Amino acid sequence: MISDAARRRYQAIVPPHVDDAYALARWLSGDPADAEDIVQDAALRALNALESANVERPRAWFLRIVRNTALTWMAKNRSKSLAFAGDADDLAAIEAVDLADDVSPEAILIAAEDGERVRRALAALPAALREALVLREINGLAYREIAEATETPIGTVMSRLARGRAALAKMLEDKR
Amino acid sequence: MSDSNPRRDRHLRLNAALDDELDAAHRIDLERELERDPQLRASLRRLSVVREAVRRHGAPEAAPATLRNAVAAIGRPKVNRWRLPLSLAACVAAGIVIGAAAQALLSASRAADPVAAAVVADFARAELSDQPFQVASSDRHTVKPWLVAHAPLGVEVADLADKGYPLAGGRIAVVGATPVPTLVYQRREHWIALTELPLPLGDGALETRQGSLDGFHLVRWADRERAYVAVSDIDADELAAFAAAFRAAAAAGGGEAR
Repeated sequence: MISDAARRRYQAIVPPHVDDAYALARWLSGDPADAEDIVQDAALRALNALESANVERPRAWFLRIVRNTALTWMAKNRSKSLAFAGDADDLAAIEAVDLADDVSPEAILIAAEDGERVRRALAALPAALREALVLREINGLAYREIAEATETPIGTVMSRLARGRAALAKMLEDKR
Repeated sequence: MSDSNPRRDRHLRLNAALDDELDAAHRIDLERELERDPQLRASLRRLSVVREAVRRHGAPEAAPATLRNAVAAIGRPKVNRWRLPLSLAACVAAGIVIGAAAQALLSASRAADPVAAAVVADFARAELSDQPFQVASSDRHTVKPWLVAHAPLGVEVADLADKGYPLAGGRIAVVGATPVPTLVYQRREHWIALTELPLPLGDGALETRQGSLDGFHLVRWADRERAYVAVSDIDADELAAFAAAFRAAAAAGGGEAR
């Protein structure tokens, strides 16, 4: 049985962040219908957790639940070969990302205007890098909120953002 | 992270500057470095281009209304108490009823008559619940203020106890996105739900019309200010008699208009 207090906390915390949750779930799952299922599932988990949870940063708190729900959901429903944040394959891919010092800003300007190309590049990133970038640029979270949402140290968050942006620059580069 | 790598550390600082996460002292240091180093300035511009690209093209559209409604419904106590499946709660909130093909209702299909669909769904849901009203009282002076406080309509509550329809309580139904006051009268062991609609939702036709949907009977009518729809599982003639009694009482001022 859910208490009235938990429901009040839920109404204050969860519905206002449904767009953020949906955006994150879409980028983690890559599919609009899956994203809806994930967010509903996450909302139910949030309601149950609010019986006892002490929430300081509501958005980061709810997005962490969305993220964990998405990872569980994908482990269950997707092929095992598909890497998701935290996989060994994924981490190896991150290590291989170059810092893109040699890519000039001018070389990526045209591709950066091409929405389809930007989305393809973002989708092709290792999941842990994509997740950090989405939380930062689309959800607008601060570093320590991203650290809370992904349950990783801030140093790792910084490193993933730097590598994610470098990898995107590489992919958007137009070589002449 | 502890192994020292000046090139990587510089990148991290550059990213942190872009994200407005550098403290003042580091920001001043970095600004000096940027003045001296064209390569670093190019790196910062590259990062800005990437950031803008992701912000402009990466944001998906807003969450669909069905998801928004479902998420809001999860936190609503009455929905949980009634143990509705999530999908049904979402559909009811959206003013849509799921189910088999629509029966004719007032010669209109379900899709063409979302009002009837919504009030029937509300009635069916209330039947399933252990508490078919949100305010339980046979006293119209208790029911009316509660409804007025919860829905933006002038509520007319007629006292029909001597006609065999004692008032049992009231609740708020939702038609589309509009909360509408609903009176619950009792007829033997059955309920009759009478929902008051703002005229844009009712069609404004003054004559009484009967219909049915999903095994429930409906009667609709309107006066100059409001439209009404009554729903029940009592038989059609009995429901029509109830509607006539309510209209007569309201016209005679037996209720309390406003």
